Amino acid sequence: MLKNLIVLFVLVAAVAAQSKQPKSKPASAPNATSMAPSTNETIALKGGKLLTITHGVIENGVVVMQNGRITAVGGPGTSIPTGAKVVDVTGMTVYPGLIDSETHLGLTEISADRMTNDELENSDEIMPHMHVYDAFHAETALIPVTRLNGITNAVVAPASGDTLPGQDSFIQLAGASATEMLTVRDIAMPLNFTGAQRRNQSFETAKFPFTRMGMATQLRQAFIDALDYEQKLAAYDKKKSSSDEKEKDKAGAPPKRDLKLEALLPYLHGKKPVVLAAEQPNDLLTALDLANEFHLKVILNHVTHSAALLDKVAATGLPVIVGPIYEQPKESERYDAVYSLPAQLAKRGIKIAFASYDSHQARNLPYAAGYAVAFGLPPEEALKALTVNPAQIWGVDKDLGSLEVGKLGNVVVASGDPLDVKTDVKRVFIQGHEIPLVSKQTQLRDQYWK
Amino acid sequence: MARRPHLYRVMLLSLCWVLSSLAVAQQPSNTQQPSSAPQNPTSPEKSTPGTEPKAGAPTENATPNQKAAPSAPAIHNDVVIKGGTILTVTHGKIENGSIYIHNGKIAAVGQSVNAPAGATVIDASGKFVMPGIIDSHSHIALDDDVNEPTSPVTPQMMMRDAFDYNDKAIYRALAGGVTTSLLLHGSANMIGGQAVVIKHKYGLGRDELIFPGAPQSIKFASGENPKRVYGSKNQLPATRMGNFEVMRAAFIEAREYMRSWDDYSAKVKKGDKDATPPKKDLKLEALADVLRGKLLVQIHCYRADEFLTEMEIAKEFGYKIRAFHHALEAYKVADKIAANGVAIATWPDWWGFKYEAWDGIPWNAAISAHKGVRVALKSDSEDVTRRLNQEAGKVIHYGMTEDEALKSITLNPAWIIGVDERVGSIDVGKDADISIWNSYPLSSTALVDKVLIDGDLYFDRSLPGLGLTHYKEVQ
Repeated sequence: MLKNLIVLFVLVAAVAAQSKQPKSKPASAPNATSMAPSTNETIALKGGKLLTITHGVIENGVVVMQNGRITAVGGPGTSIPTGAKVVDVTGMTVYPGLIDSETHLGLTEISADRMTNDELENSDEIMPHMHVYDAFHAETALIPVTRLNGITNAVVAPASGDTLPGQDSFIQLAGASATEMLTVRDIAMPLNFTGAQRRNQSFETAKFPFTRMGMATQLRQAFIDALDYEQKLAAYDKKKSSSDEKEKDKAGAPPKRDLKLEALLPYLHGKKPVVLAAEQPNDLLTALDLANEFHLKVILNHVTHSAALLDKVAATGLPVIVGPIYEQPKESERYDAVYSLPAQLAKRGIKIAFASYDSHQARNLPYAAGYAVAFGLPPEEALKALTVNPAQIWGVDKDLGSLEVGKLGNVVVASGDPLDVKTDVKRVFIQGHEIPLVSKQTQLRDQYWK
Repeated sequence: MARRPHLYRVMLLSLCWVLSSLAVAQQPSNTQQPSSAPQNPTSPEKSTPGTEPKAGAPTENATPNQKAAPSAPAIHNDVVIKGGTILTVTHGKIENGSIYIHNGKIAAVGQSVNAPAGATVIDASGKFVMPGIIDSHSHIALDDDVNEPTSPVTPQMMMRDAFDYNDKAIYRALAGGVTTSLLLHGSANMIGGQAVVIKHKYGLGRDELIFPGAPQSIKFASGENPKRVYGSKNQLPATRMGNFEVMRAAFIEAREYMRSWDDYSAKVKKGDKDATPPKKDLKLEALADVLRGKLLVQIHCYRADEFLTEMEIAKEFGYKIRAFHHALEAYKVADKIAANGVAIATWPDWWGFKYEAWDGIPWNAAISAHKGVRVALKSDSEDVTRRLNQEAGKVIHYGMTEDEALKSITLNPAWIIGVDERVGSIDVGKDADISIWNSYPLSSTALVDKVLIDGDLYFDRSLPGLGLTHYKEVQ
């Protein structure tokens, strides 16, 4: 009886809470990050120019999406299931949702306001136990703004001020809550070695590490400590699980759990990739030496001023997150030394992916790729570097990166070339749901453009 | 007319663009130069286009610019740019057109032009030819000397004193098609210093990079930056109330200063030999120049309410505001900004980097232009100044017309700087500041092939090394 009453009470409270919820928000403000109500609606995009990425361009094509995934991709003869909602996209270009390989989306709102920023824990250079999913703000105004330019997925990384600032998460730019949007937690760990991680105090206030030597040593010690910690744990476990009672007693107290060292272990075992950021040749070589020493699985990042080492980079076979291509060249370099880097890498067969390294301006990601085309990158390579390449690099190519049957329905419809600044994105689908093209900014536009 | 080359030439030089292009079209394309044209291109010309008064203003944007003086005599040869698609800015697009440049000025533009046989020909077939890009808000080439953050009122600071003409940023912008920039004081102070206008003649000496005869601009600021800089030192101003009080107090003091000089002059005029002159004060002298209307007032300002306050203060003290810079909330009060004849120099899509930028929207430029505001896109950035063509392409995506977008990086910023009679369009009589592109420039993928300033080639992408023609690389 009492039990039933409690159940009833909980139910009533839940219903009351549900009915209250919509009223607590102004009617005009949509829940910007939530997807359209979940339905099993089948959608067919008909008549568009399909940039499939993996199997060429299909003119006047058809894409069918059902239950969140792509169920058909083909020419005009492709059969459309009965009952499907057919969207005429004649004259439009259709392509897979773009992937930004480094952003801080959900970690910042107003750059200058510290209270809205969770980008970096800068109390120490070695902070691998920071997880961006703990700070990720699903309701950020920045994500709907970014979606409007056809970006549907992104890597969220902590800022690059620490050598090991924490672990990245892979997100989808729509979802009912953070849970649905954080599709892969702790997908990778940045290892920054660009010189910018030094705290640059004066000699008088200097604390270790002050130099690149210090940064490298500190990092090496952290890796050794982690391996040592693992050995102690293993030794304890071995004794503890021994059938010999005397051995069991020798185990003593378990080693104190250390989150920092524990966080490094999957990376030291090569189970997850380290995103190794370096710009100039000396830093790139030092960082690669460290990575080799500890057998890390590496994705390279930046390599901005290492033109002389590109053949060496190619020989490693490692993929490169490239950019920002708007980085200034060195004083002696030609004006296009950095703009032409993606072309230089691709020419050597290196797998590249673009990143905005931004949040508010992550929407400009495709234009950076377009600029790389101006400086010699073949346009189809540029498009791959926004889609299938990052999908492969991040290990999500089963779901993302091309218009192929079985992949998620993350699909963009635009007025033209995805890389051109003049192109207008008309429709965005995420997991087969059409996302309203509404943001804080479109609301202000509609309020004032009368 | 074709038989009377002398008359033809006079007409070419003095008439507005419509007539000149018509006249040129009647000429056979490969005719000899008119007999009155100088055989020696370096000899001084009595009636160079630049010194001719314009018969017709090229656009509604043109404003008389009394201060702009002609450049020093050009020393280079006659140049013809042939065969490109010319984006004139003021009179549409000319397919397969030509431009004749004489003594650093545009002497003719049209389907075909009449030029001396010895003229240097630049083949622009398949290329796009537009005016050099103009950046109306830049802080390059000033080393770290952008702000004098020791007082909220520093109108006597002259940016020219800090101008580092060797800064490679000038070159990198040139390689992006920029030919003129307004180098402004920073936004730490409510009233900052006086700007310098440069042409990107990288490789020449300091004085040769300074735009001759360009009017003097002064930088004002408002909002968060002055608040932060002085508030963090526990000084006035720490609020927007303080910001505007500081400004009003400065102008009241400047009025007093002007009055004391007027009194002194009156006494001298009356023959009072005992009259002692007031102390000459550089700061008050500069503020007085604002009140006298001698300086173009360029105001860093984000928020709608602050545009209104700035315009009220300008009215109260009787000076004109030339442009609001950044101006992210211009779209909220665009009609009022337009009614005051104030331009804006904005970014296409920057937002959210601070609280006063929170309501920035990428439709700002289009809405403001639509409501009659003269809109320029500027960089305020060593990075963005290298690709303002892309920035102009973006605003097309956000609803601006292609013509307006093109103007926003050429003629409109020229007006803001006060040099629109000299640069910013491809019109007869203007300085031959021209960028040549490998494809339609307002796009992601266009590249600058060549840049000419005053008719002289300064950048050529096809050259090895840096691609510069006037700069000697140290080996």
